[in-house]
Amino acid sequence: MTTPRKLKPVDAVIIGYGWTGAILAKTLTDAGLQVVALERGPARDTSPDFEYPRIADELRYGIRGDLWQPLAAETVTVRHTVNDTAVPYRKYGSFVLGNGVGGAGVHWNGQLWRASPEDFRLRSHIEQRYGKHFIPSEMTIQDYPVSFEELEPHFDHFEKVCGVSGVAGNLRGTVQPHGNPFEGPRSDEFPTPPLPAIYAAQLFEKASAQLGYRSFPVPAANSSVAFTNPYGVRLGPCNLCGYCERFGCFLYSKASPQTTILPILAARPNLEVRTGAYVTRILQDSSKKRATGVIYIDENGQELEQPADLVILSAFQMHNVRLLLLSGIGAPYDPSTGQGLVGKNYAYQMCAVTSAFFAEDVHINPFIGAGAAGLSAIDEFNSDHNDHSKLGFVGGAVIFAGATGGRPIDQMLLPPGTARWGRAWKAAVRKHYRHSAPVTVQGSVMSYRDRYLSLDPTYKDKHGLPLLRITFDWHDNEYRMAAYAASKAEDIVREMRPQSQATLLLKPGNHYDTRIYQSTHTTGGAIIGSNPANSVINRYSQSWELPNLFIYGASAFPQNVGYNPTGILAGLAYFSAEKLKSTYLRSPGPLVS
Amino acid sequence: MRGKPLILLLAAALVALVGAVVIAIVGDRLAGEHALTAPARSAALIERGAYLARLGDCEACHSIPGKPAFSGGLRMQTPIGAIYTTNITPDEADGIGRLSVADFDRALRYGVANGHSLYPAMPFTSYYNTKPEDVQALYAYFRYGVTPAHVPNRMSEIPFPLSMRWPLTYWRWFFAARPVPFSAPANEDAALAQGAYFVDGLGHCGECHTPRNAFMQLTAITRSGGPRYLRGAVIETYFAPSLRSDGPGSLQDWSEEELTQFLRTGANSRGIVFGSMSDVIIHSTQHMTETDAKATAHYLKSLDAEGTAELPYVYNLGTEQLLRKGDASKEGAFVYLNSCAACHRPDGRGYERVFPALAGNPVVEAQNADSVVSIILRGSQTPRTVQTPAQFTMPGFAWRLSDIQVMQVANFVRSSWGNRGPDVTLGEVTQLRSQAH
Amino acid sequence: MPVVGLGALASAGCNGTPQTQARAYVPTYFRAAEWEFLVAAVSRLIPTEGQGPGAIEAGVPEFVDRQMEMPYGHGAYFYLQGPFHPESAATLGYQHRYTPREIYRFGIENANSASTRVHGREFARLEPSSQDEFLASMEKGALNFPNIPAALLFAQLLENTREGYFSDPMYGGNRNMVAWNWIGFPGARADFTDWIDQAGKEYPYGPVSVGGTRS
Repeated sequence: MTTPRKLKPVDAVIIGYGWTGAILAKTLTDAGLQVVALERGPARDTSPDFEYPRIADELRYGIRGDLWQPLAAETVTVRHTVNDTAVPYRKYGSFVLGNGVGGAGVHWNGQLWRASPEDFRLRSHIEQRYGKHFIPSEMTIQDYPVSFEELEPHFDHFEKVCGVSGVAGNLRGTVQPHGNPFEGPRSDEFPTPPLPAIYAAQLFEKASAQLGYRSFPVPAANSSVAFTNPYGVRLGPCNLCGYCERFGCFLYSKASPQTTILPILAARPNLEVRTGAYVTRILQDSSKKRATGVIYIDENGQELEQPADLVILSAFQMHNVRLLLLSGIGAPYDPSTGQGLVGKNYAYQMCAVTSAFFAEDVHINPFIGAGAAGLSAIDEFNSDHNDHSKLGFVGGAVIFAGATGGRPIDQMLLPPGTARWGRAWKAAVRKHYRHSAPVTVQGSVMSYRDRYLSLDPTYKDKHGLPLLRITFDWHDNEYRMAAYAASKAEDIVREMRPQSQATLLLKPGNHYDTRIYQSTHTTGGAIIGSNPANSVINRYSQSWELPNLFIYGASAFPQNVGYNPTGILAGLAYFSAEKLKSTYLRSPGPLVS
Repeated sequence: MRGKPLILLLAAALVALVGAVVIAIVGDRLAGEHALTAPARSAALIERGAYLARLGDCEACHSIPGKPAFSGGLRMQTPIGAIYTTNITPDEADGIGRLSVADFDRALRYGVANGHSLYPAMPFTSYYNTKPEDVQALYAYFRYGVTPAHVPNRMSEIPFPLSMRWPLTYWRWFFAARPVPFSAPANEDAALAQGAYFVDGLGHCGECHTPRNAFMQLTAITRSGGPRYLRGAVIETYFAPSLRSDGPGSLQDWSEEELTQFLRTGANSRGIVFGSMSDVIIHSTQHMTETDAKATAHYLKSLDAEGTAELPYVYNLGTEQLLRKGDASKEGAFVYLNSCAACHRPDGRGYERVFPALAGNPVVEAQNADSVVSIILRGSQTPRTVQTPAQFTMPGFAWRLSDIQVMQVANFVRSSWGNRGPDVTLGEVTQLRSQAH
Repeated sequence: MPVVGLGALASAGCNGTPQTQARAYVPTYFRAAEWEFLVAAVSRLIPTEGQGPGAIEAGVPEFVDRQMEMPYGHGAYFYLQGPFHPESAATLGYQHRYTPREIYRFGIENANSASTRVHGREFARLEPSSQDEFLASMEKGALNFPNIPAALLFAQLLENTREGYFSDPMYGGNRNMVAWNWIGFPGARADFTDWIDQAGKEYPYGPVSVGGTRS
């Protein structure tokens, strides 16, 4: 076994060059540090990788997933309970994993939410509102050690960086007519106006209004006009091309690290980006109180050591947790004892879909769509916006209308009972393709004692390192949450007056099915908290174990929300970045005693 | 005695030839200003020289990626073979470390160095007007400001006898401008004078934008040279557009503010830079002071200031209205919808400073359509400047479109939305496709 | 490689003008008997009968054969390290060791054996109604194959058939964009700027492929 070649030390090493990697690269190079960013995947940019028209290829990017992490090299294993043996996630289904420069920030949908103020103090809030016994004992949810108000300026900044299109619902405490009335107070309007609702969303808006709900445009990191962000980087506008999630944006419109931050980092002499660099371990000194750098495998299979004074772990929720476990940083969570924190509180989302099937003179044009732009939502049943006292569950769901595209292999909606093949199927796709629309329920999964991440004892990646193992299945709380929200969605769809409708809903007895896409909003495993006994990182995303290790991403979430996570995790990253600049870099050490 | 007149003729020709060579050599030796004094080595002067070097864009030819700045080595194709630019760092062995300021001036403005005339690839034909104090500043920069680089000059690939230099002396005498330093006419407004000094001189805009005659001579070198000055010219597979205000395809609808913005960023609401002009923006004009950029714009807008018979561009809604209704029957419309509309929009207006407008874009309207066709085939990339860090790339469509489709869509964009560009022929498209870039 | 007649297949010429030529595709991966099975199976999954193009018109068999020669066919997109637990709950996803190539190679052999055992003939020789029944049995897992579960072969067939029907023509299927025309999908146009404010209006333009041919 040869010793890895030791490279020249740098001030900071960044593991994973996606959203939070880019945010921290900017922060640290702004401060004059010598920074190396290690990305295990390839370099990617709008040109040549997402060019029109070649990107508009459903088979290649939407089905085979050429932009995603190659599972053959590394995947995760899944089991439902601690008593089961986990088996590998051999084919993509339930979630997709990012790869390359930009990571999943390239092929996400661009829905950019903040979460509600109560989401940041969920346990306290629920106990206060419904009593201490409302939260079941196996539910291990907890408060964030940072508030919505503290994060608000950072949400605002990231929205401006992304040119997010939308309309404010609560501007500095005053509820506005066309936005989300449930959102926490925002200090400023959205940077760009919303795109007009697509037809399905318009029908949804009318129907929601009939039922007394207040719909609003989904906040979209697909900028609606040509826009220059605070870093001087210009963005293109969205044209509802229908190739959003799973694809890179050819119009420079969907916010990604490439379209928003990397252009100003391109010429910085103190930043070096190494692609094809697969980090296998974060190194600590003998005292185990300090990270000293990382070990990585380069494109030629050489093992190298990159020493650094500061280590930024921004490798996506899953890989953050895996690397901590592989590196032996912090005690792994043990569900039988409840001890250890790394891997604890893994959570996810549960989705339901109500499909509306219209007559052939209703032109839904499903191919006109984007991941967020043009969609409409209601937030009445998300977070704790409505009274849960008689409902018997914690959490909620956003309900949004409109397809993100009409890609025929993956996004074809057909009424239940339609033949899956044969003449009848052929007739059905013609009949329904242009005249159907989904209304989606995306709901929060809470964290539980028996849902966690650990290293798999059997299966390995291509380098022979243990895969990450997910122990996960639904709980009653989530079935109730989804059933409730889905019933609301059904009401709205009924009001849209389709010829028929059908709902896909997970019910008790339906186990977590890795074959069916839910969302890629996997969370937890390196959660944020107020002290080392309840978390892996403090409010500044700083590791309690190693003060010169900072961990970014949805691994921080102590439980999930009904919203998409990117806005929240970016807010946490910017909040941390500010503290790094003002305090840590001047005087490195624990930022929270 | 039949052969005698022939022998006499040959002898006379030989004498004439030798004489011509001698005259050229002596002429080169004698060229130049001999009264220039060496400048003081002051930081301010060096900084001024650095700025002027940017204005002159010396880097465009004398710096190549991967080699030290100004160490030369750029390969330039000429009709008689390839030449390589020289090392102009102050290295004493390989560069210009041994040159006096007079030598430097001679090279810069007369086109004479190392005892022979330079190929006019070195645009001394524009730099000729550089004022003595600016020559001194440039000299100070290249002598004291640039790091010496030990990079030997590469031999040209021009075969003998074509490699003989003395014919260039004659070219210089007949076809280059007299190397008279710039002086503004009396009572001229300062901005106009400043703009003229740059555009006619260090900016060397005419080297690409002014048409040349059969002798490769620029047909006009200043505003008094008439309507050919900066009216547009073919550069390889592109057409460098008119910088005048002389009708469709020119800058006549651009304001001075828009022109200034273009110089400093390569983009404005009317269009975005492409081709070798992108490099000019990146290395040269983005670094102009606001004053100098404005002066340049002011000067360019003063050409044809007396007005032109040509009407301004007027946007026409017709094209977009048809496309909105589902009517793509106009030839080229469907190609446009399938390959172009996503970025340039059915209304032809693009997205300001992201994807250029085609409607009312002088490049699209120009008589010569080479740029339009080349860009369709090969795409284009906007420049990254200090003010505009984002870079946008148009992919090439040569792989996707046949010659006929390229012709159709080129004609479509040149005649839609009120554009007045004449049709291109299939032969022009085929020709441009076959010319390697 | 013996060629099984597929009839006249439309293929697109240059500049978007469709031309119909009789063109028989010669498969690279599938052997003669396998090819016959494949052609027969996909033509039941999306039949020619009735309105609209079938899998044969769309060139689905060619698509599948070409996919077998791509990394996909060799299982490059899947994690295929052992140990394998195919007995795992279906909700934990695919747990077999087989690549798509293997699923077809072993599965088609199994299927033909089963067909011969039950009906005395290979699948391709059955009457269409019998073929439909056979496929339905496979789909339900009601047939017992020795090597590849019948339901797995069926799932592979259906998945690849749908892909071959609806993917961009550059992969060999959706010939001349017939399937896109059938359902009204604009293909690789990916631009709806003019339709953002015309919600509810029928979209008038036909499809375009990545390669730029038009129907």
